[in-house]
Amino acid sequence: MMRLPGRLHAQVSDFFGSLSESPAVKRRDQYWLRLPATGLCFLFFGVFTFVLGMLVLPLIRLLSLDHHRGRRMARAVVGGGLRFFVEFMRGVGVLRYEFIGREKLGRPGQIIVANHPTLIDAVFLVGFAPLSGCIVKAGHLRNVITRGAVIAAGYIPNAPTEDMIYAAEAALNAGETLLMFPEGTRTVPGQPLNMQRGAANVAVRAARMVTPVFITCDPPTLSKNLPWYRIPPRRPKFTLRVGDDIDLAAYRGSPVPIASRRLHADLEALFSGVTLVRD
Amino acid sequence: MKSRQEIYDIVRKSLVELFELEAPSVVPEARFNDDLEIDSIDAVDLVDHLSRIFEKRVSPRDFRSVHTVQDLIDCIDRLQTQAP
Repeated sequence: MMRLPGRLHAQVSDFFGSLSESPAVKRRDQYWLRLPATGLCFLFFGVFTFVLGMLVLPLIRLLSLDHHRGRRMARAVVGGGLRFFVEFMRGVGVLRYEFIGREKLGRPGQIIVANHPTLIDAVFLVGFAPLSGCIVKAGHLRNVITRGAVIAAGYIPNAPTEDMIYAAEAALNAGETLLMFPEGTRTVPGQPLNMQRGAANVAVRAARMVTPVFITCDPPTLSKNLPWYRIPPRRPKFTLRVGDDIDLAAYRGSPVPIASRRLHADLEALFSGVTLVRD
Repeated sequence: MKSRQEIYDIVRKSLVELFELEAPSVVPEARFNDDLEIDSIDAVDLVDHLSRIFEKRVSPRDFRSVHTVQDLIDCIDRLQTQAP
């Protein structure tokens, strides 16, 4: 048999181990179909995003006359692709979802802030608010699969801090919608919510309104430190609920650092109730 | 051109106003990160604020090597002697 490098070998044996172990909760909802379907979704996403970023989006950029329109078109393509991917995942039976209040997303100067329980939260949000800008992990710019899409759509890397803040401020002032996950990375299950202050800071500086989106996934899946084949015993249901706008006028009387700390504390309080709702 | 004492006074006043610090805690050797709890996001706000006061466009990049209040005063002093 071919020898595999250590890490891959551990993954492969963990994969087969996960198949044979007897689960604590009974496996339902066509578990043995959902498992390969989940694998298919990962493969599909990787190939699709790579082709989009390496071929389709650079072509759009090349052929569009002005930079601004090119970026808009790239975002429409990325958003449409992700929307399609959401329906694909639902179609092959790996999830169900409900998106409540999506018509409130996509207004000029709006910051959308969401909690981040799963790997695919951004897939939903970008899919349903396709023309938004997005603050993304700087790592997505180095990742060969996502790099092309991030550049073409003009998404803003989250580091270095000052570049992110100024770029986000400029985008909001230009009337864009901006999507941010204040936690910066997926919630570690069982850990208290840990949000970064960047979202509140950018909001106080330049947003017209802050709109929270509360994401829950029941039973939890695709959370941090979980490999793709550890799928939940039941078909997971994603619920994305758009909350009421937060009025920024209440914060803007004081200097930015003080105002952003207050908004940050309020956002954390608003979201910490949500992420605790689990099975 | 402002004297170093004037710069110190402005910096101190700014830190008290922006971050609600107690004035006595703002001493030249105070470290932004450890003593004053001013992080990289605050630094952007502080630089924006100071560049409005000194009417000079600066970038947070110019402050990369700033760790203490004294570093900041030195840095502003250097920047104000440079051509705009």
